[in-house]
Amino acid sequence: MNDGSERAAALVRAAQRGDGMAMHDLLDLLAPYVGRICGPIALDDGPDAAQEALIAIFRGIRGLRDPGALFGWARSIAVREAVRMARRSQGARPAELDDVPQPGDPQLAADIRDVLRRLSPEHRAVLVLRDLEGHGERAVGELLEISTGTVKSRLHRARLSFRKAWR
Amino acid sequence: MTDTIWPEAGLDSVRRLRIMAAAVPGAVYAEDVLALPFEEVWAVAADLESEFPHLLTDVRTMRVTRADGDRFEALARGRFGQRARFDVVLRPGWCWMQSRFLIGGMAAVAEADRTRFAFMGALRVPGARLVHPLSHVLGGTPGSGVIRRIAERTAARTER
Repeated sequence: MNDGSERAAALVRAAQRGDGMAMHDLLDLLAPYVGRICGPIALDDGPDAAQEALIAIFRGIRGLRDPGALFGWARSIAVREAVRMARRSQGARPAELDDVPQPGDPQLAADIRDVLRRLSPEHRAVLVLRDLEGHGERAVGELLEISTGTVKSRLHRARLSFRKAWR
Repeated sequence: MTDTIWPEAGLDSVRRLRIMAAAVPGAVYAEDVLALPFEEVWAVAADLESEFPHLLTDVRTMRVTRADGDRFEALARGRFGQRARFDVVLRPGWCWMQSRFLIGGMAAVAEADRTRFAFMGALRVPGARLVHPLSHVLGGTPGSGVIRRIAERTAARTER
């Protein structure tokens, strides 16, 4: 365990005992991390998703047996909450990627948000976990409860949309 | 693609306090939008020694005994002489405090020329209500009373 994860584990143990200052410092530690996951998946609903994810994390912190597993546990809650929030907000939009950006679309050239918006929340989740968080396809599949084959196909289609957007 | 700037979801102070209020068992929470500028509202909220006794009527005095960056230690005395030592974190738009028996927080965010203000408080142990100088704020006086008083105190300061 390095210094950072030791400190996080100590904060978790103190928060589990009801120490409000530890909860405060844990929020300082977790909020940017959860925000980095929820932002690209939930987009405009990112702050709502991050808020709900952190509520779930703090309500469940007493049940976290291994404080060293904090970030992995928080990550899975954040991804699930971001996908749920994005799906709800997306409403009638199809869940699968069906409107790949067109090459030369001027709005897409500089704005990653626009490209992400054209992906389903599930595609965005795969992209965030694989390309932003650097997890392997197997780990991504386990986290999202989908097969490695589905991870690969979603990743391929998501990356294709970026390539087309920035061609 | 990993070099790209990904959109991040930021959490303002009020969202942070909602999280804490949802996480702390039995917390009292109130939130409202005040028709007052953020700077004026927070000048009152952050003035622990002068304003805290006005906001929380069970507190007679509040004295800051130690300061280290955004971390403070403060000593509260209640109307009936009770004492409580608080650890405090004070930042623009954010105040979080804890004593042996209580946890409390205030948060404010500017919304154009108005301010969204939130307050929370919770007892850490059963029975604390009987011995702690601030504990009545969590019972007979709900958090909305604190918000009403902060609006009144802010308006009074501005009129001076």
